Amino acid sequence: MSATLLLARRNLGRNRVRLLASVGGVALALSLTLALDAIYAGVANQLTIYIDRAGADVWVAQSGVRNLHMVASSLPASVIDEVSGVDGVAAVTPILEATDTISAGDERAVAYVVGLPAGASMGGPWDVVEGSDQVGPGEIIVDRGFAAQAGVTIGDTVGVLGGEARIVGLSRGTASLVNSVAFVSFDDFQAMRGDAPVISFALVRVSSGATAESVAADIERLVPGVTAQSRSDFVAQERRIVTDMSADVISIMSVIGFVVALAVVALTVYVATLARRREFGVLKALGARNRVLYRVVLIQAVLSVAVGVAIGLAFTGLLAAAIGRTDLNLELAITSASLAKVGLFAAIIAALAAILPIRQVAGVDPAVVFRRGAPA
Amino acid sequence: MTALTLDVRGVTKRFGDGETGVLAVRGVSLAVEPGEIVLIMGPSGSGKTTLLSMMGALLKPTDGSVHLDGTAISELSEGRLPDIRLRQFGFIFQDFNLLSALSVLENVAIVAELAGLKARAARDKAKALLTDLGLGERLDFLPEKLSGGEKQRVAIARALINDPTLILADEPTANLDSKIGHEIMRLLRRIAKDQGRSVVIVSHDERIRDIADRILWLEDGAFKDIVTMAVDPVCGMAVERERAVSAERDGETFFFCSRGCREEFLGGLRADGSGNGRGLSGFIRTATEIVRNAHGR
Repeated sequence: MSATLLLARRNLGRNRVRLLASVGGVALALSLTLALDAIYAGVANQLTIYIDRAGADVWVAQSGVRNLHMVASSLPASVIDEVSGVDGVAAVTPILEATDTISAGDERAVAYVVGLPAGASMGGPWDVVEGSDQVGPGEIIVDRGFAAQAGVTIGDTVGVLGGEARIVGLSRGTASLVNSVAFVSFDDFQAMRGDAPVISFALVRVSSGATAESVAADIERLVPGVTAQSRSDFVAQERRIVTDMSADVISIMSVIGFVVALAVVALTVYVATLARRREFGVLKALGARNRVLYRVVLIQAVLSVAVGVAIGLAFTGLLAAAIGRTDLNLELAITSASLAKVGLFAAIIAALAAILPIRQVAGVDPAVVFRRGAPA
Repeated sequence: MTALTLDVRGVTKRFGDGETGVLAVRGVSLAVEPGEIVLIMGPSGSGKTTLLSMMGALLKPTDGSVHLDGTAISELSEGRLPDIRLRQFGFIFQDFNLLSALSVLENVAIVAELAGLKARAARDKAKALLTDLGLGERLDFLPEKLSGGEKQRVAIARALINDPTLILADEPTANLDSKIGHEIMRLLRRIAKDQGRSVVIVSHDERIRDIADRILWLEDGAFKDIVTMAVDPVCGMAVERERAVSAERDGETFFFCSRGCREEFLGGLRADGSGNGRGLSGFIRTATEIVRNAHGR
């Protein structure tokens, strides 16, 4: 171990309370940033899970509609035949979709309500834990979390789309922090809309050998008035909406976390340096160059931050795992982007936190070694 | 002629300017030969620490120059001084100034590492040195667990680890009891005589006179000549022997501030002879040495 690393490590470890305060402060502050990022990433994951799991390779929507959240798509039913005729399209399933409220007694919850044709091979629930995975007239499949919360089960009736439907199935993984997905029959949905010959989306499965992107491009080229996107593009658009909506909150909380962590590390490294000012003077008198001492201070800051980051990561990871084991409709997803952001934060914090102490060290007069009893 | 280890030529140090300026050291010259132990004494505020700082390249003189092994270190840029301090000086302090977070071994090894030795080699060298100084059982101790004498021996090991030419010691025995102080003094003498290193000691400790080859008195920023002082046995006043009136009695010479005191002294002794005086033992009989207007060489 190099002399500078040894000295930095020992200087930090010598005062455990100060080290704990420093590391704990960083861990807490960065956990705040990391956890918030993870919550939003988790919410984004949940909001896009229907797109991911619907089984479609390409989503065809009304022209200009590029996501699912807070928009409405309306296409003439004739689009189904036109899309079916495009090369590379293996199957097409039309769905109707709207954001609505499902009610059961006093319990009301927002949901994406999806109208499914009988025997649909795409767009239906992917994990039905109880009851049927097919919906007929007057029937509905709801998320089991909603059912539990509302105190309803299979056979009970809920209000949806201005009417009522009987629960025939309970699905899993179809709820998020903000809403859930419920499935009704296509005919019911259409009837509630006055039997207009329209659909919301056409879900497309591409033939083997064809790529979703090329088929989407062909559909857009050959079918007028539609926007076709591969599943991954559609998911990316949906995520962007979530990110845009949450960006300000994330930014504010990130700045708060950053400032708190910076203040904690800067203060503790500064105090640690101040407490050893005389010893830095001794090292200077013995022949240590300023740059060596600067390195000691910087390593102290980096070590504090690194340990804080590690603890923050572990804490957030454990929190994510713990939440995953609960019935909460919440997912914490620690993304690589978030890790990179926190890592960058940490590096900047360490560098900034070292500036003041380094200035302190630079100002230490080596002749202090001969001043007895005088403060350095 | 022996090559000098340290050659201080007319150094002056002034702090501040104008009327508020203080002349801490005034045109001091001092030459130290290899293996020589020079003790600089003087009252507090006499400029000892300032002089020591200039000798150790920790402070630039306002005027004059400091040469170490022929190199004018007082002329070197700040950028070159750390290397000089690291490799050619060994510092020993009154307060030991050990790094509190490091063990005994690490306190010594780190200085060798700073000088460019690999970590393993630095530790081996430090271990050998500390063992030689009787600290083999204390290598992993933190400084706070050591006695004063042990701390000072660690400081001495640290001062020696890079084989310096010159050791500068600031009150090395001040915080030590008499026995340990003597041990440290003997150790410094051994280092000087066996290893040929020059040692400059600044101290108030009279005991260090025993090991010094040369004693200098610094007062008001300048060296003073050594003159022998005596205490007037009648009034207790310190007097210079060379200038004082004196009287012989029983083969011993006594010195007085004035003829009056001498007469009183002699009269008292005479009275003692008749059975009425206070006798020789009734007078103060202390003598000491001080220095006056001397030069370091």
